[in-house]
Amino acid sequence: VVADSETATILRVKGPLEFRCQLDSTDGVCRNVISRTFETLRCQVKSESCVLAVCDSPVIIWPNKDTYATPEEITPSTLCEDLYQWIRSGKKSTKKKSKRSLTMSVINLRLMVEVTKPGPVSAPILIKAVQKSHFVRATLPVDCVSMYVIQNLMEALTHQLTEMEKVTLENMKGMTLLVPEPVHFLLPEPKGLVTVVYPTGVPDSQLVTLRKELHQQFELPDDRPYFRRSNAYRFPNEPYKDGYLRNPHLVLTHPTLDNGKVYLVQGIYSYHHYMQDRVDDSGWGCAYRSLQTICSWFQQQGYIERSVPTHKEIQQALVDVGDKQASFVGSRQWIGSIEVQAVLNHLLEITSKIMFVSQGSELASKGRELANHFLTEGTPVMIGGGVLAHTILGVAWSETTGQIRYLILDPHYTGAEDLQVITDKGWCGWKGPDFWDQTAYYNLCLPLRPKVF
Amino acid sequence: MGRGYIVQDAVEGYLSRLCEQKADPVTGLLIGQSSAQRDFVIMATRTPQREESAAAAGDTVDKEWITEHARQVSRMLPGGLSVLGVFIITDADAKDTLTTLRQLVFTVENLISSEHLWDPADDDVTDCVTLHVNPKTRKTICRTFDIKDPKSMAKPADWKYQSGLCSSWATVSCSLNVDILLPLPNNRTSDSLFQEGLKAWAHQIESGLFLIDGKRLPEDSELTVGQVVKCRMQICKAKPYFWSLSQRSDLNCQIRISHLHTYVVQQCGGSVSITGAIHSRAYLHSNKPKARLAEKMLKRDVVSTVATRVQMMLEELLTSDQEKQLRLPHRIFCPLKASGPLCVCDYQFSDESSSDVTERLKEMLDIDAAEADLDTRQETTAEMTGCDVTPGVAMATAVALLATAASMLYLNDI
Repeated sequence: VVADSETATILRVKGPLEFRCQLDSTDGVCRNVISRTFETLRCQVKSESCVLAVCDSPVIIWPNKDTYATPEEITPSTLCEDLYQWIRSGKKSTKKKSKRSLTMSVINLRLMVEVTKPGPVSAPILIKAVQKSHFVRATLPVDCVSMYVIQNLMEALTHQLTEMEKVTLENMKGMTLLVPEPVHFLLPEPKGLVTVVYPTGVPDSQLVTLRKELHQQFELPDDRPYFRRSNAYRFPNEPYKDGYLRNPHLVLTHPTLDNGKVYLVQGIYSYHHYMQDRVDDSGWGCAYRSLQTICSWFQQQGYIERSVPTHKEIQQALVDVGDKQASFVGSRQWIGSIEVQAVLNHLLEITSKIMFVSQGSELASKGRELANHFLTEGTPVMIGGGVLAHTILGVAWSETTGQIRYLILDPHYTGAEDLQVITDKGWCGWKGPDFWDQTAYYNLCLPLRPKVF
Repeated sequence: MGRGYIVQDAVEGYLSRLCEQKADPVTGLLIGQSSAQRDFVIMATRTPQREESAAAAGDTVDKEWITEHARQVSRMLPGGLSVLGVFIITDADAKDTLTTLRQLVFTVENLISSEHLWDPADDDVTDCVTLHVNPKTRKTICRTFDIKDPKSMAKPADWKYQSGLCSSWATVSCSLNVDILLPLPNNRTSDSLFQEGLKAWAHQIESGLFLIDGKRLPEDSELTVGQVVKCRMQICKAKPYFWSLSQRSDLNCQIRISHLHTYVVQQCGGSVSITGAIHSRAYLHSNKPKARLAEKMLKRDVVSTVATRVQMMLEELLTSDQEKQLRLPHRIFCPLKASGPLCVCDYQFSDESSSDVTERLKEMLDIDAAEADLDTRQETTAEMTGCDVTPGVAMATAVALLATAASMLYLNDI
């Protein structure tokens, strides 16, 4: 199966692989037995009984065998996207059709072992070994991707098993062995999708050396957390279990201005708005929600590990820094950009710039600054003024004509996480300069990315 | 609406002959296949004589012996065939007889199901049949009981003889590698260990991908009756229950940790490995058997043929703490005369002869088979490997080699 160079089709194979062996207590022997068991697994993957089953389809592929596949129409030269015609679409998608097509599509495969074979066969032997030892077993969460052909996928599988062996042995402490887990990262072009094997359960803070090596290996600058776990690539077909919408702005058609360019937020954020999390903050919580959207951005780009703060946690943070009295916690008092800046600093150690405009009409002239912000930092911006707070996710700006549009994410929405409604009714949408109260003053909080890896 | 049992006409002759015997009561088992639509009885077999009580072939029904017979017979039936119920030939009172039959049927079914390593499916038939034949009048009273319901009342059922029943069956079969490695708790071997370990393997088989004649068919597709269908099975090499969904509670977490953090390391006193291969077979009767049924029956046969053989070795394994290398018995098939493709099976140990097998077939199933009738081609006696090779590593090379050899055979085999 080959890939057409025009479209990007990811082949992804997952297959829990069983690891079983017996160990003596002697460390030296242990490592040998573990390596030998991994060698067994590598042989299994290279053997003719290795099978790839394409999920939701009748397609089965024997990558190491001449007979290759069923249905017979599929051969090693079949294009990846031709596999799509075999994949059943499953239940009707409840999400509305995206106006923009996804840049990547995924074909999921399952790694299996064929256990049947032609007869006649030799009946089984039972061997009972008596030996005081340790029995070791694990489920290895093998997870490989290839952007090209099945052949690459098989090589990736073998390579991943070697990586898993390395990670297992490196993280062995006495009789405790950590299960290796693969994590995928989408690196800037042309590097694409890359898989790293991490020891499960070890926090990012203890993997600094490893990440530094990866940054060097892939020639990436040290000031962005490309390889932190929470920055893992989310495949297009993987739903978010928490129920928040991600990047609703992606389905919008962006405005075209004369000599204008669109500057957008980079990465992934969640849409936080009134009435979510069973908190009725209608009428007072808009800035809190904008702040939550910003926090979600920092979390999903891997800068922070803590979860998005609740209203109370935000209020408590302001009390802790001395900005508010203790009675503030549990109240329904508004906050503004300054408070947002303070909370980002205290809870997340994020610094932000404050931009002030004395009247709303001046915002039209802030095109260059906002464009620059989205280019270099790419973080969502909180804007508060008059009696309202909003989040700015991007600008469309023409350097020559000065025309400007703002991509607004409105925290005042009280409905359900319905992408169609949110985009059709403009809760996430492009607004003109007249969106702002022309006479009120505004403060903008522009969060900055920490320069870390 | 009661059930309707369609019975091979040879069974009528068999029961008639039993009626002519002096003994009363004569008990036995009814064997066939039950489905949601129809029930087929292909043979009956009388309870064998118990040696100690040969003299006192009395008027008591030996429930324990009948139940044990049923367990043995159940192990000799390939997939799709099972013990459907119990018959009794007696001129005792119908009501008393029915009570006895009821007790028998429940204990028989409970014992047989206790050996199953799979969970019952929703579409399994839970009715068992009882047949009371009056030796003088030859009248038959046929009743069913629902085994799922301990308070089940007898329901009337139809009992109809038909000829040519046994010729319209489909056969599905496969030969399958077995590679099981289980830890032994310190110093002691216990049979619950095998139950647990084999159950996990059985679960793997149950959830395996099933191909019929090289194709993955939708569950409801129908097989052509009369064909011998070769099946292939792939399994996912891991046990689903080892996954623990320890999801982090972070709202925006993208990574679900769906596996344990650490390898499970347990102290053990040794290990038991079962490696080799088995031949599995299942029969389906229906106008158009569904792929789903073929899969279910064959998978169950795979699991029970391995479980049965381990059961047979259990005593020898449990009695000593020594290292052991045991050959599991290999499976032999014996066609049922005038029964189309249907076969029963038996297990032959390496130190037994064909006559041992034919004797057992006579004793358990009341079948007169000649040694020449036996099909011994499916499995050969196990080959012993060298004792000092650790099973895990040996398997790796073996799997690779066998796979290559197999592919060559397969390509030449039209």
